[in-house]
Amino acid sequence: MRRNGRRANQWAVAWRRFRKNKSGIIGGAIVLFFIIIAIVGPYLAPYPPRSYAPLYQGDAGQPPSLKHPFGVEESGIDVFSEVIDGTRNDLYVGLAASLLTTLIGIAIGAFAGYFEGLVSEVLLALTQIFFVFPALLLILLFARVFSILVFKGLGLTLIVLILSFFGWSGVSFIVRGETLRVKQMEFVQAARSLGAGSMRILFRHIVPNILSPVIVIATLGIAGFILTEVAVSFLGFGDANTPTWGLLLNEGFPYIRTEWWVSLFPGLAVVLCVLGFNLMGDGLSDALNPRLRE
Amino acid sequence: MIGKLLEVSNLRTYFYTEAGVVKAVDGMSLDVGKSETVGLVGESGSGKSVTAQSVLRIVPPPGRIVEGSIKFQGADILQKSEEEMRMLRGSKISVIFQDPSSSLNPVYTVERQLTDIITLHQHVSKREAIQTAQSLLTRVGISEPEKRLRAYPHELSGGMKQRVAIARALSCEPSLLLADEPTTSLDVTIQAQVLELLKELQAEYEMSMVMITHDMGIVADLTRRVTVAYAGKVMEVADTRSVFTDPKHPYTEALLKAVPSIRRTRALEVIPGNIPNLIEPPSGCVFHPRCKYAKEICSREVPGLEVVDGGHYVACHLWRELRLEGRVN
Repeated sequence: MRRNGRRANQWAVAWRRFRKNKSGIIGGAIVLFFIIIAIVGPYLAPYPPRSYAPLYQGDAGQPPSLKHPFGVEESGIDVFSEVIDGTRNDLYVGLAASLLTTLIGIAIGAFAGYFEGLVSEVLLALTQIFFVFPALLLILLFARVFSILVFKGLGLTLIVLILSFFGWSGVSFIVRGETLRVKQMEFVQAARSLGAGSMRILFRHIVPNILSPVIVIATLGIAGFILTEVAVSFLGFGDANTPTWGLLLNEGFPYIRTEWWVSLFPGLAVVLCVLGFNLMGDGLSDALNPRLRE
Repeated sequence: MIGKLLEVSNLRTYFYTEAGVVKAVDGMSLDVGKSETVGLVGESGSGKSVTAQSVLRIVPPPGRIVEGSIKFQGADILQKSEEEMRMLRGSKISVIFQDPSSSLNPVYTVERQLTDIITLHQHVSKREAIQTAQSLLTRVGISEPEKRLRAYPHELSGGMKQRVAIARALSCEPSLLLADEPTTSLDVTIQAQVLELLKELQAEYEMSMVMITHDMGIVADLTRRVTVAYAGKVMEVADTRSVFTDPKHPYTEALLKAVPSIRRTRALEVIPGNIPNLIEPPSGCVFHPRCKYAKEICSREVPGLEVVDGGHYVACHLWRELRLEGRVN
């Protein structure tokens, strides 16, 4: 299993397999592109977020031009700047919500799978309840209620928290299933018979062995959360003070017959970004679980 | 019974499944003296591994130790707290499993597998643990230990993996080693090497060893005393020589006949039938449905463990009348 003297660490093996996967690499490149945009965004965008400056320059409602590559909204907001700022904000929502749901899902799923009896029954029931919730409706409701009542000024972080609160059950199911499988393996019994305690067995022996499917589902989850955020903002339940692709779609929708550029460019960004994460997730899935391909 | 390191008596470990209560271990007894190697022999499903799990108190649910006592160094293991058990496992009592490719964690290097348990039981620095790990690898006959420390289990051969597992089991110099079919999954040539290594280490560390196996050849090679188990019960206990030359239980005789012989040319005899259903074991002697000597009493009464002579016990109604065939070689 060793080539050119390199160690055959499982991640190294997976990386070698991933590199051979064309669509996975393309997805990875798209993701990398968006990440770079998100990082250098503030230096790239001609106008600050939510700036009406072009209005005073008489450019409101202008179609794409050299000065405004993606055109200008009726209200005078530069679409190019907003799409760039939206990249940063949407990636933040996608990455943060996916990270948070993965952590919650691992914790709950691992305990539900490892322990027997009441604890696991309760955690499983909890996971199932959250799994069957009509999540989008509840997210909209929570987003509206909380943004008015409690967490004013929390902005996108509120959306992240709500998305995570309703989004961890998928990870939890997978982690529980994998934990049930891995805990039967002999090395777990070996660890136990050599004096390891429950927490040590669970988090140092079992969880590291189930990370591959979790990484895949977390990557696909990023795409899912970005889409959900777009939906929430498009329906007007997001944070109106922070530029996101969904907010642009929302603002462009009334003018879609005349000022198509306001909707087209953020829409393309969503499609491309989600496509990138999905391709990358599929590539990772093939690289980490090559047996699943057959 | 002075000087016994491990005394298991009348152990019953049952599994409460939905299909019924599986009596995996049903009245097992086993004594292990200091620095002694004892064999625990039987077919698959005879309760050997569950006995080992019971000694470590790691019987997986729905299994439970229902009755009996397990004394280790004079103290009752069944009375200890989980915390005390954890201190015992891996440091005083250690295990080697059958399949080294599954008993090593695939995501960690050999170094991590070894130092993990060393630092768990001993207050040593990371560097000292690595040094111990390295000398352990040398001791179990692995060449280039510095290089092997950085290897992952899948990069090692089966024999080498089992050597790593042995090193891991011995890392805290246990006084009792439970070897659960340690060579079953290895090639024959590697088997001999690993057995030889275990024999050497047993003498060197002056530890006691329970060799769990179904292979009478291993029994002859390594052990001084043997317990023959069937369906979770003790059939015969004797020193190894007597078991081979003068077996008193029909099951022991049948096991001996199922081993191929080099010197004698005769057909291998298989034991007819399968191990019985442990939810509803046969009435009377559990072996009677497969026993060619069985009489009416065998299906009616459970035979007790009777003394043949000093140190030789048998659970059979008919042992006085039967003339069983042993093996000389």
